[in-house]
Amino acid sequence: MENIQDTLKSERQQAWREELRKSMKAKERTSIDRVKMLEQEPHVRNRNHDEVNLGLSEEMAVKEAQRCLDCVEPTCITGCPVGINIPKFIKRIEQGEFLESAKVLKETNALPAVCGRVCPQEVQCEASCFYVQKLKKDPVAIGYLERFAADYERNSGNISIPEVEEKNGIKVAVIGSGPAGLAVAGDMIKWGYDVTVFEALHEIGGVLKYGIPEFRLPNEIVDVEIENLKQMGVEFRTNFIVGTTASVDELKEEGYEAFFVGSGAGLPKFMNVPGENFRRIFSSNEYLTRVNLMHAADPNYDTPVFSGKNVAVIGGGNTAMDSVRTSKRLGADRSMIIYRRSLEEMPARVEEVKHAQEEEVEFMNLNSPVQYFADENGNVNKVRVQKMKLGEPDSSGRRRPIPVEGSEYEVEVDTVVVAIGVSPNPLIPASMPELDITDWGTIKVDKDSMHSSVEGIFAGGDIVRGGATVILAMGDGRKAARGMHEYLKEKVGKK
Amino acid sequence: MADLTTKYLGLSLSNPLIIGSSGLTDSADNIIELEKAGAGAVVIKSLFEEQIMLEVDASLKEAYQNDMIYTAKSETLDYIDIHIRERTLSAYIELIKEVKKKVMIPVIASINCVSSAEWINFANQFEQAGADALELNIAILPSDEKTSAEKIEKVYFDIIEKVKSQVSIPVSIKMSSYFTNLALMIKKLSETGIEGIVMFNRFYTPDFDINNFSEKSSNTFSTPAEAGNIRRWIGIMSQKVDSQLAASTGIHSAEDLIKQLLAGAHAVQVVSTIYKNGKDQIQKMLGGLNMWMDENGYNTIEQFRGKMSQAESANPSAYERIQFMKYFSEIK
Repeated sequence: MENIQDTLKSERQQAWREELRKSMKAKERTSIDRVKMLEQEPHVRNRNHDEVNLGLSEEMAVKEAQRCLDCVEPTCITGCPVGINIPKFIKRIEQGEFLESAKVLKETNALPAVCGRVCPQEVQCEASCFYVQKLKKDPVAIGYLERFAADYERNSGNISIPEVEEKNGIKVAVIGSGPAGLAVAGDMIKWGYDVTVFEALHEIGGVLKYGIPEFRLPNEIVDVEIENLKQMGVEFRTNFIVGTTASVDELKEEGYEAFFVGSGAGLPKFMNVPGENFRRIFSSNEYLTRVNLMHAADPNYDTPVFSGKNVAVIGGGNTAMDSVRTSKRLGADRSMIIYRRSLEEMPARVEEVKHAQEEEVEFMNLNSPVQYFADENGNVNKVRVQKMKLGEPDSSGRRRPIPVEGSEYEVEVDTVVVAIGVSPNPLIPASMPELDITDWGTIKVDKDSMHSSVEGIFAGGDIVRGGATVILAMGDGRKAARGMHEYLKEKVGKK
Repeated sequence: MADLTTKYLGLSLSNPLIIGSSGLTDSADNIIELEKAGAGAVVIKSLFEEQIMLEVDASLKEAYQNDMIYTAKSETLDYIDIHIRERTLSAYIELIKEVKKKVMIPVIASINCVSSAEWINFANQFEQAGADALELNIAILPSDEKTSAEKIEKVYFDIIEKVKSQVSIPVSIKMSSYFTNLALMIKKLSETGIEGIVMFNRFYTPDFDINNFSEKSSNTFSTPAEAGNIRRWIGIMSQKVDSQLAASTGIHSAEDLIKQLLAGAHAVQVVSTIYKNGKDQIQKMLGGLNMWMDENGYNTIEQFRGKMSQAESANPSAYERIQFMKYFSEIK
């Protein structure tokens, strides 16, 4: 840790940084208002699948970068799960060296264009920003700037490929090509390993592809980041289910010395209320996968999805927001969020809630479904909801929702999407009975090395956390890569 | 050998001794052993809403202490209570199915459903899993000074109405004795059409450690002295209601069992005495009942059930006497 602090300090003392700091007084910097992201108009965007946020112009980015005070102790970095050198990449933007800025991001983050779009910066790096902590002002728009630098590099055609050490001939396997797996692959390939990523689906990207809609994260952005990894030498094998197509033991026989399990949490959860099995009641996984991965909204594809006119989405997280906003884009007249807590307590990102509100999504907070009804064909046509009130706080500090007796009423619906969380993918734990798992089906790991109970098997992301964010999964991946690297050095040393 | 069979909740029991909801009845293996030991029926350990909420709190605490889990933004943790409830209920349904495959005695499922309307939807699933009857364990301690008696009573009737609309198996209610007019409440409950009433629920009793100024539990097990109040109310109500009554709390011996039957109970529920004396206590109590029936010339329980109830009593006012003045004044 000391080394990192020393590195940050010495980098901050480089001439170009000092010069930049002197170029503008702190007071001038703090008097600049936070930049506003350019967006599609709400009434336009809620009828198309194009990206909502349009990014920053060069001028906007430079001006926002000027707000950064290049603090002596950059607390923002401590708020970043992958430890991006935030002041350095921002100051490169202020300097106008946008390609250099992108290189800084790639030192620690394999997917900067993705993270710039989907990270909850408001509770991570931006929450730790000096502006928030000390000045009680809006933080530097770190996420917007990250996105800007990554997009600039991609659009310039001068995409830098991080340097890779000489091959050491050691084969490692990464199971799952979601954010955790890609982060492991990105680090391990840099350190000279032969990295193969095994993906069960036909496309690479995991939840980035099937879970996050294109209006929030276009697939082409993910593809470019994956292409970078390919350029670095990472091999991807799609339609390969580890545990079915081949077992871990069989892969060991093929020469793989260590494994990272990042198979995610793709198993939907339901509330088990009466009528939940009626037709046109989807899990959010199914609904979003049909649209995002299987292109159901594209007339050139024959993937079906029912485009309801009255759509109720159950839940208050990002997946619920993604689902309800997707339903608008599929032509719903009325898209509703039914969530049992209040608006303030929603786990969704603030920006996603704001966007949904602008797009005329109805928020039915403090309501919870208790029963579904169907027509003679078994298609859902009504949901009975019960009003809730907030009781005493639970252990998370949030007030517990309590049903209000006698408050039930019915709402007409023709599509319901249940977005109340997911369970870890059971395939790997089921195929490896010796693996220690929790009551929740998550893999138990050492918190520092991410090493599981089975030698040579590491794990991270949703399969360990049971449901988290892209950046936390990537943080796990980077930690696991370090753990795997140490493990393999010792293992090879003993041979 | 007397005929010990009885009817409870419309079910035929080989004898009136039911093992009440407890840790004794929380697994198929235990229940198989209880059947072998001679139990007439079992009530599977109640699913408590409170228990689920405690588990939720424990999980959330663990999530916070263990920074591997990102509580604030996790949809799964946002609905953790629902997921835990779902998991617990699934396990309960599996237990009912397993027990029903392995034992012949009636199996009564039991749920605690104080507040949640949706909770009772699971009654239907218990029926589908094969439960022979359902015991609603409604444990409301009237400790909230802002809640009127009417409101508390309404909870009972609402839950019964909803559950009865969901299931066709017999339903009983395990109630507390904290009511302004207990007799009227029991009568009204009986009129809802429920098949049985279990009298009464035994609440956790807080106690203090006066040396450490800490709270502790007292009287984990019941004592025979507690059976007297149950006997009084079984005796007062047994001839006045259509629901079949089961006595619960303080029944530790054959004599305690016989007294409750004389008061009018169709069955008794025992727990503490089995914990204290082991499963052999079942045969000891049934043997004692058998011997007493032989000695008194009874071939069936129905021949003497309710013989000492208030309606049949030679001295009915004894049931309603609440002061000892006269009793003591006669002791010279």
